[in-house]
Amino acid sequence: MRRVAVIGVGVTKFGKHDRTSGELFAEAAVDALADAELPPGAVQALYYGNVVGGETEHQLHTGPQAASILGIPTVPTTRFETACASSHAAFRHAVMEIAAGVSDVVLVGGGERVLNVPTAESTEYFAYASDASWEQPLGLTFPGVFALVARAHMAKYGTTEEQMAAVAVKNHKHGTMNPKAQFQKEITLETVMKSPYVADPLKLYDCCPFTDGGAAIVLASEDVARPRRRAVWVLGTAAASDSMLLGDKKDLSRVMATERAAKAAYQQAGKSPSDVNVVELHDCFTIAEIVATEGLGLFEPGAGGIAAERGDTSLGGKVPVNPSGGLKSKGHPIGATGAAQIAEIVTQLRGEAGPRQVDGARTGLTHTLGGNTATVLVSLFGRE
Amino acid sequence: MVTLKSFFEQAREGRLTGIKCGGCGEIAIPPKQFCANCGARAWQSVPLSGEGTLASYTIIRVAPAGHAADAPYAVGVVKLKEGAAIFGRIVDVPFEKLAVGLALRFRPIVVKEQTSVGFAP
Repeated sequence: MRRVAVIGVGVTKFGKHDRTSGELFAEAAVDALADAELPPGAVQALYYGNVVGGETEHQLHTGPQAASILGIPTVPTTRFETACASSHAAFRHAVMEIAAGVSDVVLVGGGERVLNVPTAESTEYFAYASDASWEQPLGLTFPGVFALVARAHMAKYGTTEEQMAAVAVKNHKHGTMNPKAQFQKEITLETVMKSPYVADPLKLYDCCPFTDGGAAIVLASEDVARPRRRAVWVLGTAAASDSMLLGDKKDLSRVMATERAAKAAYQQAGKSPSDVNVVELHDCFTIAEIVATEGLGLFEPGAGGIAAERGDTSLGGKVPVNPSGGLKSKGHPIGATGAAQIAEIVTQLRGEAGPRQVDGARTGLTHTLGGNTATVLVSLFGRE
Repeated sequence: MVTLKSFFEQAREGRLTGIKCGGCGEIAIPPKQFCANCGARAWQSVPLSGEGTLASYTIIRVAPAGHAADAPYAVGVVKLKEGAAIFGRIVDVPFEKLAVGLALRFRPIVVKEQTSVGFAP
C-alpha cells in the first residue's frame, strides 16, 4: 500500500450561514486547494460527507452538487453518511483509494446546514440516526443517548456533573483562540451547572450547538506529497461499528466502537496512546469527551472525568484535547466535522495553530463518533 | 422467524417475544439473521417475562418536534431477567424515584396505531 499525506486544509467559519451546505463546502475546498498549491483540475475524486441535506435542504445527491459548485463537475463523487462521522468515513475511503494506487490527489470534505430550521425540527432529523422502529417512536434524542451513557458512567465510576462541566469550560477556553469557532467566549463552571437540563444529567452547556459549516482536505500520494515541506502523513485510519440498538450495546458506560477503532489505528501506525501529543475528538456532549479519552487509551476507564477536572486535557496539560474548541465551542456541522478535526490536527502538526498551538506536537489523533455510538473512526497523523 | 411486524403485533397484546440462539443460547431482540455472539443461524422464538431492572435512564426535556407535547418524559434501557436489554419509555414512576437498578415490568405503549416498548413498576 502507498503512503498518503494531507497536503491542504480549509475550514469555513462555523456558525449560522445564509448559504447552502454545497456552497459552504466549496468555500472550504477553495482554501484547501490554495493551501495545497494545486489547481482544481488536479483533483481526481471527491469523497463527501453530508447528513441531513435531504431533510433541511431537500437535497439528495449532494456529492455531484458540491463538486459542481466547486467547479469540478466531472470528477467521480461519493457522498458518505455515517451520521456525525460522515466526512471521517469519507476520509478513510479516500486514503484507501490513494493507497491502492487508483488516484494521486483526492479531495475530502463535508458540508452541513441546519440552522435554517427550528431546533425542534433539527432535533428530530438528528434522531433519524437512531432506530426508527425501536427508539425514534419513543422520542429518543441525541442528548438522550449520551445522557444514558453519562448515567451509566456515573453509576459505575462515580463521575460527577462537575467533571463533565469542566470539559465544557476547557473547550470554551480553547475556542477563544480559534477565530473559526462558533463560540469564542469563556464560560464558568457555574454557567454550566446552572444551565437547564436538556436530558438529565446533561444540561444545555454539556451539549454542542447546531452549526452550519464546511471543511475540506486535500490528500495526496507520496510522490505528490514528498516535495511539500508542510505535508502531514496519515499513519493509520480505522473504522469500527457497534450494535445499532441501545439495548444491544454490552456496556453503556463504554463506547466499544471507539476502543476497537483506536486499537486498529494504533496498530497500523505502530504507535501507542503515550505517543500522542494532540487530540481532536468527538465531544458532541461533555460525557462523550470523557468516555472517548478512556476509549482511546489516554486515561484508564473511569479516570477521564478526573483527568478533565485536573487539567490534563487542557492546552499545556499532559495531552491537550480539542485545542480547536472541539464540537462544543468550535461547533458541529455534522457532515463536515470529521474533516474539520483533521484540518485542526494538520494545522497543529505543521506548527501553524497560533495561540492554541500544542508545543512540539509530532503525533496527532482524530476521533469522530457517529450517532448512537454505532460508528467510530480514529486516525493518526505525523510529521516526517 | 420473528419480524419487526410480528414482534410489535405481539407487543401490542402485552407479550414480549425474544429469540434464542440454538448455537450458544444467547437471548436476543429480533430481527436478527446470524447470532452476533457465535455466528449460528438457529433462532427459536421465546416468550420473555418482561421483567427487568433499569440499566440507565434519562428525562428528555428538549424533545423532537413530534414529541414536544409529551416532554418531559423518561426513557431508559432495561436489562431483562432473561439477559437481553431493551430501550423503552418509563411510565408511572416519579422522576425523583428513577434509579439504576429499579425493578420494572414491560407495558406496551400504543400511540396512533404505533406500538412501542414501555416499562412501568
